[in-house]
Amino acid sequence: MQHTSIVAETGGPVPRNGAGPKARLVRKHVLVVEEIELDGGRAVPSTLRRAAAAAVIANPWVGTVTEDLGPAVTRIVPAVADALIARLLQALGGGAAVEAFGKGVLVGLDGEVEHGAAVIHTPHLGDRYRHRVGGSSVIAFAERRAGAGASLLIPMWHKTEATTRSHYQAMELRVPDAPNADEIVVALAAASGPRPFARIGDRRTDPVLAVEGAPA
Amino acid sequence: MSPRKLVTLVEEVQREGDRDLAGPLYMGFVAAVFKNPWAGQGFVEDLGPVLDELAPELGALLVPRLVAALPAPVEAYGKAGIVGLAGEVEHASALIHTLRFGNHLRAAVGGTTLLPSVEKRSAPGGTFDIPLKHITDMTVRSHHQTYEVRVAEAPHPDEILVGVAGATGGRPHARLAEFRADEA
Repeated sequence: MQHTSIVAETGGPVPRNGAGPKARLVRKHVLVVEEIELDGGRAVPSTLRRAAAAAVIANPWVGTVTEDLGPAVTRIVPAVADALIARLLQALGGGAAVEAFGKGVLVGLDGEVEHGAAVIHTPHLGDRYRHRVGGSSVIAFAERRAGAGASLLIPMWHKTEATTRSHYQAMELRVPDAPNADEIVVALAAASGPRPFARIGDRRTDPVLAVEGAPA
Repeated sequence: MSPRKLVTLVEEVQREGDRDLAGPLYMGFVAAVFKNPWAGQGFVEDLGPVLDELAPELGALLVPRLVAALPAPVEAYGKAGIVGLAGEVEHASALIHTLRFGNHLRAAVGGTTLLPSVEKRSAPGGTFDIPLKHITDMTVRSHHQTYEVRVAEAPHPDEILVGVAGATGGRPHARLAEFRADEA
Protein backbone atom coordinates (compact mmCIF):
# COMPACT_ATOMS: atom_id res chain seq x y z
CA MET A 1 0.00 0.00 0.00
CA GLN A 2 1.29 3.43 -0.86
CA HIS A 3 1.00 6.03 1.84
CA THR A 4 0.30 9.69 1.30
CA SER A 5 3.22 12.09 1.46
CA ILE A 6 2.99 14.83 4.03
CA VAL A 7 3.65 18.36 2.88
CA ALA A 8 4.68 20.86 5.51
CA GLU A 9 2.31 23.67 6.26
CA THR A 10 3.76 27.06 5.55
CA GLY A 11 4.46 29.44 8.40
CA GLY A 12 6.98 29.43 11.19
CA PRO A 13 10.73 29.31 10.80
CA VAL A 14 11.73 27.28 7.75
CA PRO A 15 14.68 25.03 8.59
CA ARG A 16 17.61 25.00 6.23
CA ASN A 17 17.02 21.50 4.98
CA GLY A 18 13.34 22.12 4.53
CA ALA A 19 13.95 25.05 2.24
CA GLY A 20 13.69 23.39 -1.16
CA PRO A 21 10.72 23.28 -3.50
CA LYS A 22 7.53 21.95 -1.86
CA ALA A 23 9.35 20.84 1.30
CA ARG A 24 7.82 17.58 2.34
CA LEU A 25 7.97 17.24 6.08
CA VAL A 26 9.62 13.82 5.99
CA ARG A 27 12.85 13.23 4.07
CA LYS A 28 12.41 9.52 4.34
CA HIS A 29 10.54 6.83 6.17
CA VAL A 30 12.15 3.61 7.33
CA LEU A 31 10.33 0.47 8.37
CA VAL A 32 11.93 -2.56 10.02
CA VAL A 33 9.95 -5.75 10.57
CA GLU A 34 11.28 -8.81 12.36
CA GLU A 35 9.51 -12.15 12.39
CA ILE A 36 11.09 -14.33 15.04
CA GLU A 37 10.56 -18.06 14.56
CA LEU A 38 13.27 -19.68 16.68
CA ASP A 39 15.02 -18.68 19.85
CA GLY A 40 17.50 -20.60 21.92
CA GLY A 41 17.20 -23.36 19.34
CA ARG A 42 13.49 -23.86 19.94
CA ALA A 43 10.57 -22.98 17.71
CA VAL A 44 8.58 -20.05 19.08
CA PRO A 45 4.97 -21.30 19.55
CA SER A 46 3.61 -18.45 17.47
CA THR A 47 5.75 -16.11 15.42
CA LEU A 48 6.77 -12.98 17.31
CA ARG A 49 6.37 -9.98 15.04
CA ARG A 50 8.18 -6.78 15.94
CA ALA A 51 8.36 -3.60 13.95
CA ALA A 52 9.78 -0.11 14.12
CA ALA A 53 8.72 2.78 11.90
CA ALA A 54 10.87 5.88 11.69
CA ALA A 55 10.66 9.24 9.97
CA VAL A 56 13.57 11.55 9.23
CA ILE A 57 12.46 15.16 9.64
CA ALA A 58 14.16 18.54 9.67
CA ASN A 59 14.84 19.84 13.17
CA PRO A 60 12.72 23.01 13.20
CA TRP A 61 14.75 24.57 16.02
CA VAL A 62 18.30 24.16 14.70
CA GLY A 63 20.22 27.42 14.83
CA THR A 64 17.74 29.02 17.20
CA VAL A 65 17.38 29.36 20.93
CA THR A 66 13.71 28.63 21.28
CA GLU A 67 12.11 28.74 24.69
CA ASP A 68 8.65 27.57 23.66
CA LEU A 69 8.87 24.38 21.63
CA GLY A 70 5.09 23.98 21.59
CA PRO A 71 4.13 25.76 18.37
CA ALA A 72 6.44 23.72 16.13
CA VAL A 73 5.42 20.50 17.89
CA THR A 74 1.78 21.29 17.19
CA ARG A 75 2.56 22.10 13.57
CA ILE A 76 4.75 19.09 12.80
CA VAL A 77 4.13 16.15 15.10
CA PRO A 78 0.49 15.21 14.43
CA ALA A 79 1.07 14.45 10.75
CA VAL A 80 4.35 12.66 11.42
CA ALA A 81 2.78 10.59 14.19
CA ASP A 82 -0.13 9.58 11.96
CA ALA A 83 2.27 8.58 9.18
CA LEU A 84 4.33 6.45 11.56
CA ILE A 85 1.31 4.80 13.13
CA ALA A 86 -0.12 3.94 9.71
CA ARG A 87 3.08 2.26 8.58
CA LEU A 88 3.65 0.44 11.84
CA LEU A 89 0.13 -0.92 12.14
CA GLN A 90 0.07 -1.98 8.52
CA ALA A 91 3.21 -4.01 9.20
CA LEU A 92 1.77 -5.68 12.29
CA GLY A 93 -1.78 -6.18 11.10
CA GLY A 94 -3.61 -3.47 13.04
CA GLY A 95 -3.73 -1.99 16.51
CA ALA A 96 -5.27 -5.05 18.14
CA ALA A 97 -2.21 -7.07 17.12
CA VAL A 98 0.07 -4.84 19.17
CA GLU A 99 0.78 -6.02 22.72
CA ALA A 100 3.90 -4.03 23.57
CA PHE A 101 4.91 -0.57 22.48
CA GLY A 102 7.71 1.94 22.59
CA LYS A 103 9.00 5.11 21.02
CA GLY A 104 12.35 6.76 20.45
CA VAL A 105 14.18 9.69 18.96
CA LEU A 106 17.62 10.48 17.58
CA VAL A 107 18.56 14.15 17.47
CA GLY A 108 21.25 15.27 15.03
CA LEU A 109 24.39 16.85 16.45
CA ASP A 110 23.35 20.47 16.00
CA GLY A 111 20.16 20.02 18.01
CA GLU A 112 19.31 19.64 21.67
CA VAL A 113 18.11 16.38 23.18
CA GLU A 114 15.27 18.57 24.40
CA HIS A 115 14.20 18.97 20.77
CA GLY A 116 13.83 15.24 20.43
CA ALA A 117 12.06 15.01 23.75
CA ALA A 118 9.60 17.63 22.55
CA VAL A 119 8.76 15.54 19.52
CA ILE A 120 8.10 12.26 21.35
CA HIS A 121 6.87 13.38 24.77
CA THR A 122 3.70 15.02 23.55
CA PRO A 123 0.10 13.91 23.37
CA HIS A 124 0.27 14.65 19.65
CA LEU A 125 2.39 11.52 19.35
CA GLY A 126 1.83 9.49 22.51
CA ASP A 127 -1.93 9.78 22.82
CA ARG A 128 -2.43 9.15 19.13
CA TYR A 129 -0.37 5.98 19.26
CA ARG A 130 -1.85 4.75 22.54
CA HIS A 131 -5.38 5.28 21.28
CA ARG A 132 -4.79 3.45 18.00
CA VAL A 133 -3.55 0.31 19.78
CA GLY A 134 -6.02 0.39 22.66
CA GLY A 135 -3.29 1.06 25.18
CA SER A 136 -3.31 2.74 28.56
CA SER A 137 0.29 2.52 29.77
CA VAL A 138 2.91 5.21 29.57
CA ILE A 139 4.92 4.40 26.42
CA ALA A 140 8.48 3.17 26.95
CA PHE A 141 11.04 5.44 25.30
CA ALA A 142 14.66 6.16 24.46
CA GLU A 143 16.29 9.35 23.28
CA ARG A 144 19.81 10.33 22.31
CA ARG A 145 21.80 12.80 20.26
CA ALA A 146 23.95 11.10 17.65
CA GLY A 147 25.56 11.23 14.25
CA ALA A 148 24.06 9.65 11.17
CA GLY A 149 23.96 5.88 11.24
CA ALA A 150 23.90 5.60 15.00
CA SER A 151 21.66 2.89 16.34
CA LEU A 152 18.80 3.45 18.71
CA LEU A 153 17.58 0.70 21.00
CA ILE A 154 13.86 1.27 21.46
CA PRO A 155 12.45 -0.28 24.63
CA MET A 156 8.93 -1.67 24.71
CA TRP A 157 6.58 -2.80 27.40
CA HIS A 158 2.99 -3.97 27.60
CA LYS A 159 0.45 -1.45 26.32
CA THR A 160 -1.88 -1.82 29.31
CA GLU A 161 0.25 -3.55 31.96
CA ALA A 162 3.60 -1.78 32.00
CA THR A 163 4.94 -3.91 34.85
CA THR A 164 4.36 -7.21 33.03
CA ARG A 165 7.92 -8.45 32.67
CA SER A 166 7.24 -10.89 29.86
CA HIS A 167 6.78 -7.98 27.46
CA TYR A 168 9.96 -6.08 28.32
CA GLN A 169 11.98 -6.13 25.13
CA ALA A 170 13.85 -3.77 22.85
CA MET A 171 14.29 -3.36 19.14
CA GLU A 172 17.26 -1.89 17.36
CA LEU A 173 16.75 0.79 14.73
CA ARG A 174 19.39 2.33 12.50
CA VAL A 175 19.09 4.67 9.53
CA PRO A 176 22.40 4.73 7.63
CA ASP A 177 22.29 8.37 6.53
CA ALA A 178 20.31 9.96 9.34
CA PRO A 179 20.05 12.01 11.39
CA ASN A 180 22.05 14.71 9.69
CA ALA A 181 23.19 17.38 12.12
CA ASP A 182 20.02 19.39 11.48
CA GLU A 183 17.59 16.48 11.50
CA ILE A 184 15.59 14.39 13.93
CA VAL A 185 14.70 10.71 13.54
CA VAL A 186 11.46 9.94 15.33
CA ALA A 187 10.37 6.34 15.74
CA LEU A 188 7.64 4.11 17.07
CA ALA A 189 8.04 0.41 17.84
CA ALA A 190 5.61 -2.40 18.52
CA ALA A 191 5.65 -6.13 19.28
CA SER A 192 2.91 -8.70 18.79
CA GLY A 193 3.70 -10.56 21.97
CA PRO A 194 6.11 -11.24 24.81
CA ARG A 195 9.75 -12.26 24.52
CA PRO A 196 10.20 -15.78 23.18
CA PHE A 197 9.91 -18.22 26.08
CA ALA A 198 9.51 -15.46 28.68
CA ARG A 199 9.90 -17.19 32.04
CA ILE A 200 11.30 -14.85 34.64
CA GLY A 201 8.09 -14.55 36.59
CA ASP A 202 6.60 -11.34 37.78
CA ARG A 203 6.29 -9.13 40.81
CA ARG A 204 3.65 -11.47 42.16
CA THR A 205 5.95 -14.46 41.92
CA ASP A 206 9.16 -12.79 43.15
CA PRO A 207 10.67 -14.03 46.38
CA VAL A 208 10.16 -11.58 49.21
CA LEU A 209 13.54 -10.00 49.92
CA ALA A 210 14.49 -8.12 53.01
CA VAL A 211 16.22 -5.02 51.62
CA GLU A 212 17.92 -2.81 54.16
CA GLY A 213 16.33 0.59 54.33
CA ALA A 214 13.38 -0.32 52.12
CA PRO A 215 9.94 0.73 53.33
CA ALA A 216 8.15 -2.06 55.11
CA MET B 1 15.03 -24.91 6.32
CA SER B 2 13.74 -23.20 9.44
CA PRO B 3 14.76 -19.55 9.67
CA ARG B 4 15.50 -18.15 13.10
CA LYS B 5 14.07 -14.88 11.93
CA LEU B 6 12.90 -13.03 8.88
CA VAL B 7 13.61 -9.34 8.53
CA THR B 8 11.95 -6.86 6.21
CA LEU B 9 13.30 -3.34 5.71
CA VAL B 10 11.62 -0.63 3.66
CA GLU B 11 12.96 2.82 2.97
CA GLU B 12 10.66 5.40 1.47
CA VAL B 13 12.61 8.40 0.22
CA GLN B 14 10.61 11.61 -0.10
CA ARG B 15 13.29 14.28 -0.43
CA GLU B 16 16.87 14.49 -1.62
CA GLY B 17 19.20 17.41 -2.22
CA ASP B 18 16.79 19.92 -0.68
CA ARG B 19 13.93 19.11 -2.99
CA ASP B 20 10.99 16.77 -3.04
CA LEU B 21 10.95 13.71 -5.26
CA ALA B 22 8.12 13.65 -7.81
CA GLY B 23 6.99 10.44 -6.12
CA PRO B 24 8.50 8.40 -3.31
CA LEU B 25 11.32 6.00 -4.07
CA TYR B 26 10.91 2.71 -2.23
CA MET B 27 13.79 0.40 -1.45
CA GLY B 28 13.07 -2.93 0.17
CA PHE B 29 15.12 -5.74 1.61
CA VAL B 30 13.96 -9.10 2.92
CA ALA B 31 16.31 -11.54 4.59
CA ALA B 32 16.18 -14.91 6.28
CA VAL B 33 18.61 -15.82 9.04
CA PHE B 34 19.16 -19.55 9.46
CA LYS B 35 21.65 -22.18 10.61
CA ASN B 36 24.57 -22.66 8.24
CA PRO B 37 23.86 -26.15 6.88
CA TRP B 38 27.61 -26.82 6.64
CA ALA B 39 28.42 -25.57 10.14
CA GLY B 40 30.58 -27.87 12.22
CA GLN B 41 31.32 -30.26 9.35
CA GLY B 42 34.86 -29.18 8.61
CA PHE B 43 35.73 -28.55 4.96
CA VAL B 44 32.91 -29.76 2.73
CA GLU B 45 34.03 -30.21 -0.86
CA ASP B 46 30.69 -30.61 -2.60
CA LEU B 47 28.17 -27.97 -1.61
CA GLY B 48 25.83 -28.97 -4.42
CA PRO B 49 23.39 -31.38 -2.76
CA VAL B 50 22.51 -28.96 0.04
CA LEU B 51 22.32 -25.87 -2.12
CA ASP B 52 20.10 -27.62 -4.66
CA GLU B 53 17.56 -28.13 -1.93
CA LEU B 54 18.01 -24.94 0.05
CA ALA B 55 18.42 -22.24 -2.61
CA PRO B 56 14.95 -22.70 -4.15
CA GLU B 57 13.38 -22.69 -0.68
CA LEU B 58 15.04 -19.37 0.06
CA GLY B 59 13.93 -17.87 -3.23
CA ALA B 60 10.35 -18.98 -2.67
CA LEU B 61 10.37 -17.66 0.90
CA LEU B 62 11.95 -14.25 0.32
CA VAL B 63 10.77 -13.05 -3.06
CA PRO B 64 7.01 -12.86 -2.39
CA ARG B 65 7.73 -10.91 0.78
CA LEU B 66 9.86 -8.41 -1.10
CA VAL B 67 7.20 -7.89 -3.75
CA ALA B 68 4.54 -7.48 -1.05
CA ALA B 69 6.66 -4.97 0.89
CA LEU B 70 6.99 -2.61 -2.07
CA PRO B 71 3.97 -0.64 -3.27
CA ALA B 72 5.22 -0.29 -6.84
CA PRO B 73 6.93 -2.60 -9.35
CA VAL B 74 10.59 -3.41 -8.83
CA GLU B 75 12.84 -1.64 -11.36
CA ALA B 76 16.22 -2.45 -9.82
CA TYR B 77 17.35 -5.43 -7.80
CA GLY B 78 20.20 -7.10 -5.96
CA LYS B 79 20.97 -9.83 -3.44
CA ALA B 80 23.08 -10.54 -0.39
CA GLY B 81 24.71 -13.57 1.21
CA ILE B 82 26.33 -12.95 4.59
CA VAL B 83 27.96 -15.80 6.42
CA GLY B 84 28.67 -15.85 10.14
CA LEU B 85 32.21 -15.90 11.46
CA ALA B 86 32.48 -19.68 11.72
CA GLY B 87 31.52 -20.26 8.09
CA GLU B 88 33.10 -19.76 4.69
CA VAL B 89 32.09 -16.98 2.31
CA GLU B 90 31.72 -19.86 -0.13
CA HIS B 91 28.77 -21.13 1.94
CA ALA B 92 26.78 -17.95 1.48
CA SER B 93 27.87 -17.66 -2.12
CA ALA B 94 26.67 -21.18 -2.83
CA LEU B 95 23.14 -20.30 -1.82
CA ILE B 96 22.81 -17.07 -3.79
CA HIS B 97 24.90 -17.72 -6.90
CA THR B 98 22.63 -20.27 -8.43
CA LEU B 99 19.75 -19.91 -10.84
CA ARG B 100 17.75 -21.94 -8.36
CA PHE B 101 17.73 -18.85 -6.15
CA GLY B 102 17.98 -15.90 -8.52
CA ASN B 103 15.34 -17.05 -10.95
CA HIS B 104 12.69 -16.63 -8.27
CA LEU B 105 13.39 -12.91 -8.17
CA ARG B 106 13.82 -12.51 -11.92
CA ALA B 107 10.55 -14.31 -12.58
CA ALA B 108 8.61 -12.31 -10.01
CA VAL B 109 9.64 -8.91 -11.32
CA GLY B 110 10.19 -9.60 -15.02
CA GLY B 111 13.95 -9.30 -14.75
CA THR B 112 16.43 -10.61 -17.27
CA THR B 113 19.80 -9.38 -16.04
CA LEU B 114 22.29 -10.76 -13.55
CA LEU B 115 21.56 -9.94 -9.94
CA PRO B 116 24.31 -7.78 -8.47
CA SER B 117 25.39 -9.12 -5.12
CA VAL B 118 27.32 -8.65 -1.94
CA GLU B 119 28.82 -11.64 -0.21
CA LYS B 120 30.92 -11.42 2.90
CA ARG B 121 31.67 -12.88 6.29
CA SER B 122 30.49 -10.73 9.13
CA ALA B 123 30.00 -10.45 12.83
CA PRO B 124 26.38 -10.13 13.96
CA GLY B 125 24.98 -6.72 13.14
CA GLY B 126 27.65 -5.88 10.59
CA THR B 127 26.65 -3.48 7.83
CA PHE B 128 26.71 -4.46 4.19
CA ASP B 129 25.97 -2.57 1.00
CA ILE B 130 23.74 -4.23 -1.56
CA PRO B 131 24.34 -3.06 -5.12
CA LEU B 132 21.19 -2.66 -7.20
CA LYS B 133 20.96 -2.48 -10.96
CA HIS B 134 18.18 -2.26 -13.50
CA ILE B 135 16.21 -5.48 -13.92
CA THR B 136 16.46 -5.69 -17.71
CA ASP B 137 19.43 -3.50 -18.67
CA MET B 138 22.52 -3.34 -16.49
CA THR B 139 23.76 -0.26 -18.36
CA VAL B 140 20.92 2.01 -17.23
CA ARG B 141 22.90 4.45 -15.12
CA SER B 142 19.97 5.99 -13.28
CA HIS B 143 19.34 2.68 -11.54
CA HIS B 144 22.87 2.04 -10.27
CA GLN B 145 22.40 2.47 -6.54
CA THR B 146 23.28 0.92 -3.23
CA TYR B 147 21.16 -0.06 -0.27
CA GLU B 148 22.97 -0.07 3.06
CA VAL B 149 21.60 -2.64 5.43
CA ARG B 150 22.21 -4.01 8.87
CA VAL B 151 20.29 -6.77 10.60
CA ALA B 152 20.43 -6.63 14.37
CA GLU B 153 22.12 -9.65 15.96
CA ALA B 154 22.63 -11.60 12.74
CA PRO B 155 24.27 -13.69 11.51
CA HIS B 156 25.52 -15.65 14.51
CA PRO B 157 28.85 -17.44 13.83
CA ASP B 158 27.06 -20.62 12.75
CA GLU B 159 24.38 -18.84 10.72
CA ILE B 160 23.89 -17.47 7.22
CA LEU B 161 21.83 -14.46 6.21
CA VAL B 162 20.44 -14.49 2.69
CA GLY B 163 18.47 -11.56 1.33
CA VAL B 164 16.94 -9.99 -1.75
CA ALA B 165 16.59 -6.27 -2.39
CA GLY B 166 14.63 -4.15 -4.79
CA ALA B 167 13.99 -0.50 -5.62
CA THR B 168 10.93 0.93 -7.32
CA GLY B 169 12.97 3.44 -9.31
CA GLY B 170 16.36 4.90 -9.95
CA ARG B 171 18.34 7.30 -7.80
CA PRO B 172 16.46 10.38 -6.61
CA HIS B 173 16.87 13.21 -9.15
CA ALA B 174 19.08 10.99 -11.36
CA ARG B 175 20.60 13.18 -14.05
CA LEU B 176 23.64 11.45 -15.45
CA ALA B 177 23.83 10.99 -19.21
CA GLU B 178 22.71 7.61 -20.47
CA PHE B 179 25.34 5.09 -21.44
CA ARG B 180 26.11 5.14 -25.14
CA ALA B 181 27.72 2.35 -27.16
CA ASP B 182 30.53 4.62 -28.35
CA GLU B 183 31.60 5.13 -24.75
CA ALA B 184 32.35 1.46 -24.37
